[in-house]
Amino acid sequence: MGAILIRGGRVVDPVLGLDALRDVLLRDGLVAEVAEHIAAPAGAEVLEAAGTVVAPGFIDMHVHLREPGHNHKETIASGCAAAVVGGFTAVACMPNTEPALDSPALIAEVLRLARAAGTARVYPIGAITRARKGVELAPFWRLHDAGAVAFSDDGNTVESARVLRQAALYARDVPGVFISHCEDGTLKGDAVMHEGEQSLRLGLAGSPGLAEDVIVARDLLIAGETGKPFHIAHLSTAMSVQLMLFARAQGIAATCEVTAHHLVLDDGHVRGFRADGKVNPPLRGDDDAAALRAAVREGTIDVFATDHAPHTREEKDRLLHDAPVGFSGLETAIGAYAAAVPDLPLARFVALLSTNPARILGVPGGTLAPGSPADVTLFADRAWTVDTSRFHSQGKNTPFDGATLPRRAVATIVGGRIVMHEGRLLETAAGA
Amino acid sequence: MPALKAPSPYSSLIDLDDLSPAGITEILDRAKAFHAEPPPRDLLRDVSVVNLFFEASTRTYTSFALAEQRVGADVVALPPGSSSLGKGETIADTALTLAAMGVRVIVTRHPHSGFPARLAESFAGHVINAGDGRHAHPTQALLDLLTLETEFGKLAGLRVALVGDILHSRVARSNAIGLRAMGAEVTLVGPRTLLPDSMGGDGPRVARDLDAVLPHVDAVMLLRIQHERIASAVLPSLDDYARNYRLDARRLALLPKHAIVMHPGPYNRGVELTEDVLRYPGWRYAQQVSHGVYVRMAVLDFLVNG
Repeated sequence: MGAILIRGGRVVDPVLGLDALRDVLLRDGLVAEVAEHIAAPAGAEVLEAAGTVVAPGFIDMHVHLREPGHNHKETIASGCAAAVVGGFTAVACMPNTEPALDSPALIAEVLRLARAAGTARVYPIGAITRARKGVELAPFWRLHDAGAVAFSDDGNTVESARVLRQAALYARDVPGVFISHCEDGTLKGDAVMHEGEQSLRLGLAGSPGLAEDVIVARDLLIAGETGKPFHIAHLSTAMSVQLMLFARAQGIAATCEVTAHHLVLDDGHVRGFRADGKVNPPLRGDDDAAALRAAVREGTIDVFATDHAPHTREEKDRLLHDAPVGFSGLETAIGAYAAAVPDLPLARFVALLSTNPARILGVPGGTLAPGSPADVTLFADRAWTVDTSRFHSQGKNTPFDGATLPRRAVATIVGGRIVMHEGRLLETAAGA
Repeated sequence: MPALKAPSPYSSLIDLDDLSPAGITEILDRAKAFHAEPPPRDLLRDVSVVNLFFEASTRTYTSFALAEQRVGADVVALPPGSSSLGKGETIADTALTLAAMGVRVIVTRHPHSGFPARLAESFAGHVINAGDGRHAHPTQALLDLLTLETEFGKLAGLRVALVGDILHSRVARSNAIGLRAMGAEVTLVGPRTLLPDSMGGDGPRVARDLDAVLPHVDAVMLLRIQHERIASAVLPSLDDYARNYRLDARRLALLPKHAIVMHPGPYNRGVELTEDVLRYPGWRYAQQVSHGVYVRMAVLDFLVNG
């Protein structure tokens, strides 16, 4: 494998404590050197990076690749293409496939399809319970052996506290956090949006913030009691932030993520009765979004994750009660986060998108320290307008459609190969 | 960011906030004129109207059908379950199909909030909402406004209490919007599980004590209580509800002499009201039903002919 010299970019690396103009030399799939001036070795490809930020590869620890079982919504290949176009060098994929990722063979199959796609790295997340039904435990050790990096029942909150506690105890020493999607189904009912003035005004069934809060509290307490590290997915309420602070004060091993949509959008987006903004947990009130933005600035939030959840246009055009939850996020993420917290220091931006998810998942990357994988994200503050018809994801739906976002990915390098440059997937990316 | 209603170049009636106060007044005036003297039966000559009801309805359906006949429209009724929407056709496809056949007006009722608004987005004609989910029932609210105006000669300044299951009631929502637009004072009354505190927002007053409200109103609008609210743990029992909110002889006596009592129907005797209410001189249910036909004639005329 050849060498790549990334020349003249602003290198931001929270691990190295670096925010300065530097050259970065990649060789044999690893970072070889970071220095002020590096002479291009013979035969090296030179990537001029003046005017861009050069960061350790971004890792999205919450995506839905839909394969196997829902290939009409997305495939591992199309999802990985969307990832690298959005500036992500790696994604962790949720197990809510059909069948669910609850067996070593399925984990291996996902990894095989990801290698065949040849773009982003894929880290499968195994189920906590068989078929994500919340009854019997998934085979944690064998899922780990096959390559699962974390465990989650994803959109199915493990309803039984006993089952979740048993799972956490059994899996205590298995590498891989438990990722909790926190929604109490009894409080949520048949809700299609957040319960608040908007839902009351529109006559739509709403899910209260309490539905999240009670499960966040429960799962953090289970984390504390069992000692199993928990990662709370997509926080959406102000109270969840307070609960995270409480857990940390107690010394509980817990981390959390927030999506861009929960930071900038609110329940006003259900106006017009369209399902574009229908998502779990729902877009909340603007007070919640403001509290989440404050939590990002104050350092309570560990990770930016997209919850990339592609669906077909036809599915999202249905009436609210009938339309599926979620929307594509990989290709808007960098811009949407920059729009959400424009004053966030770049070192924190990179930590939330790279260093922290790498640490929480226990995967390589998150830094450009020599010897690290040659996974690099180049981005720049260039405004652009979201046009879903140009998405590489099969899911052409997002409430950000038509929005102008202030930041975008410029190039994505995975394992020392440039897989995306200026929005174009490079041919070498396919079938490598 | 998306507007409250998807922009449509065609006039539809999805909820009463689609109309200005002047528009509401115009419809009420036309309804009164039709009541006084039947209009010529060719107001909507050669206008095709489809009644697209996805939910059972006796009063509203019959009322619309009579109104459509009396303005001379060509009417097609699609019985519930016959629409190909259930077979995977999208809302937009249904709208295109009906428009291509020359349909100018769709009157629709649907169990889920939002169907008429979504239909109106795609339909090159007029959509009239005959009730959608918990969202809106604008022609019911208009006939209630007509009943109040006929009674009191005005709407501005009237004090109206809406009592009962506000949360699940499209009638209450549309009435609250219409009454407030016309300058009436609205008080919502009910238990917290049927009337969240935040329901009022910056709008209507929210009250829990019906006995304290009754002496200070010109009209009481009762809402139907569904038995299923007990199974879903929203109410403990009908008796427990009745203790605080059923209108009976004792509570009728708390009303000012001039006050009227209304109900969108169908009413449950013994639940939200006792037989005493049916004998009360100010019970206006029959007038409401009668006004419904004239209001719907007026809405058809207003949307199609301007």
